[in-house]
Amino acid sequence: MPSFKVLVVDDEFDFLETIVKRLQKRKIDATGVGSGLEALKLLEETSFDILILDVKMPKMDGIETLKEIKRRWPAVEVIMLTGHASVESGMQGMQLGAFDYVMKPAKLDDLIEKMVQAYERKLLREKQIR
Amino acid sequence: MSSYKPKVLVVDDEARFRETLIKLLNTKLIEATGAESGMEAIEKITENKYDVILLDVRMPGMTGIEALAKIKKIDPLLEVIILTGHASVDTAIEIMKHGGCEYLLKPCPVDELTARIDAAYERKVTRTKVKAKTP
Amino acid sequence: MKENFSGRSRFVNYLVPLCLFAASWPVGRTGGALYALGALILAGLSFFLFRHLVHQINQAEQRSCELDEQLIQSQKLAAIGELSSGIAHEINNPLAIIGQEVEWLRHLFETSTLQEEKDRGEFSDSLKQISSQVDRCRDITHKLLNFARKMDPVMQAVELNRLIDDMAALVEKEAKLNNINIIREFQKDLPLVTSDPPFLRQVILNLLNNATYAIEANGTITISTKDNKDGRVEIAVADTGRGIPKEHLKKIFDPFFTTKPPGKGTGLGLSICHGIIQRVGGTISVISQLDRGTTFTIRLPIAP
Repeated sequence: MPSFKVLVVDDEFDFLETIVKRLQKRKIDATGVGSGLEALKLLEETSFDILILDVKMPKMDGIETLKEIKRRWPAVEVIMLTGHASVESGMQGMQLGAFDYVMKPAKLDDLIEKMVQAYERKLLREKQIR
Repeated sequence: MSSYKPKVLVVDDEARFRETLIKLLNTKLIEATGAESGMEAIEKITENKYDVILLDVRMPGMTGIEALAKIKKIDPLLEVIILTGHASVDTAIEIMKHGGCEYLLKPCPVDELTARIDAAYERKVTRTKVKAKTP
Repeated sequence: MKENFSGRSRFVNYLVPLCLFAASWPVGRTGGALYALGALILAGLSFFLFRHLVHQINQAEQRSCELDEQLIQSQKLAAIGELSSGIAHEINNPLAIIGQEVEWLRHLFETSTLQEEKDRGEFSDSLKQISSQVDRCRDITHKLLNFARKMDPVMQAVELNRLIDDMAALVEKEAKLNNINIIREFQKDLPLVTSDPPFLRQVILNLLNNATYAIEANGTITISTKDNKDGRVEIAVADTGRGIPKEHLKKIFDPFFTTKPPGKGTGLGLSICHGIIQRVGGTISVISQLDRGTTFTIRLPIAP
């Protein structure tokens, strides 16, 4: 398993706590925050490789957060996570540069596999720019 | 929150854009002045204190990117927001290399711009504090 | 050049069997009926052989015509992309000034108490209109720049069937509400493809969304994959929708071409798809029949 840093952003506290614990159990360096604004704040201090971003959140939703992240930290790969399959927001998300758009509930193994691919992409892009 | 107004320099060669933006920012409790070229901006920055610079990319004489490099040399703590009608990933990446700046595409509503300026100003304050702590 | 070639081949088509036949004629007279018959069969055979050959040549020609058309199409799109991003850039600056003047007018207006109540209403309504139209233009220019920006693809291994299945699942729920079925005809053991996964997701999602739009309600979308055995894989998205009129078909990948009402959709979706597929080294094409449906076919190189 390559070592990368993951930030999970979700306003549902129970879900957030569980997923972060389960990822940590798999030896993945995972952190959780409860809103888009908290995520932006944390990104200013700490760098992450991958973000798991819930689409439906109060105040600043996932799409808005994604827009902001891609503007300020274009190298971070973002996987959108959604409870409601919405084609419109899916298209928006992909157009704004998300790596993937995944429906809840997602199997942990699938999610980890997608993270590995997203991380591979991040490394490849860094190599390409250099 | 103190009653201090962030000091902003608007660098844009288009006079009407610069002047109206300055008027609008001044109504939003931001102290804004203007410069019509990269050269003038650098002169003003060496003489006065600013918190945030709004910088156009395409200007005759010195481009925004060249100005950005010089500005960061004069005062690395200065926050720069690139405000341009010309966007490309190449310029964005080039700008990111200089660090500590944001990238906004024209036209941009003044409310969004003031929000960015406030955020940039806050960042500057925290950075200055951190720097003061580390000798 | 092509005209000449096909003209000549048509000529050859008739000339050669005729010569053979003519050559066989005197033989038949002197050497008996058998020879004549043999020669006749030979002539007939060669006639069919040549017809077959010419048919093949014509087919090859048609294929190269299609290729040429694709080349012209992509060159045209590149030119339009370049031009439109230039225009978008130029328009952004005056647009920024208009937007700011409106905000300034609004500020002046809100702090003044001079006008009559009725005038005030109309004045602020006009201001609102100007700024909402500026927003609309801004939306267009920003999307256009998104479309034109040269983002290099990042190539990595893709399990195509799974990627498509994920996107189909995303569309499925909304589609079911309108009684639209999504059928998957995936070739098993499809080779891993080296491509840009998020780019491909964007394209597949776009095509599926267009397909549901074309069907509106009650219909089927069939999405299939297959290994073309020529170093390429093929993805087809077929819908049973209203189809695309012939005169629209040629323009379908052009930026700003849309059949949706004004304000809905910028007409950039398919040209973005075209741009993406081109950047990952593939091709995208369309066939359509009115009231029967439309099929988009993507061919992707397995290795870049």
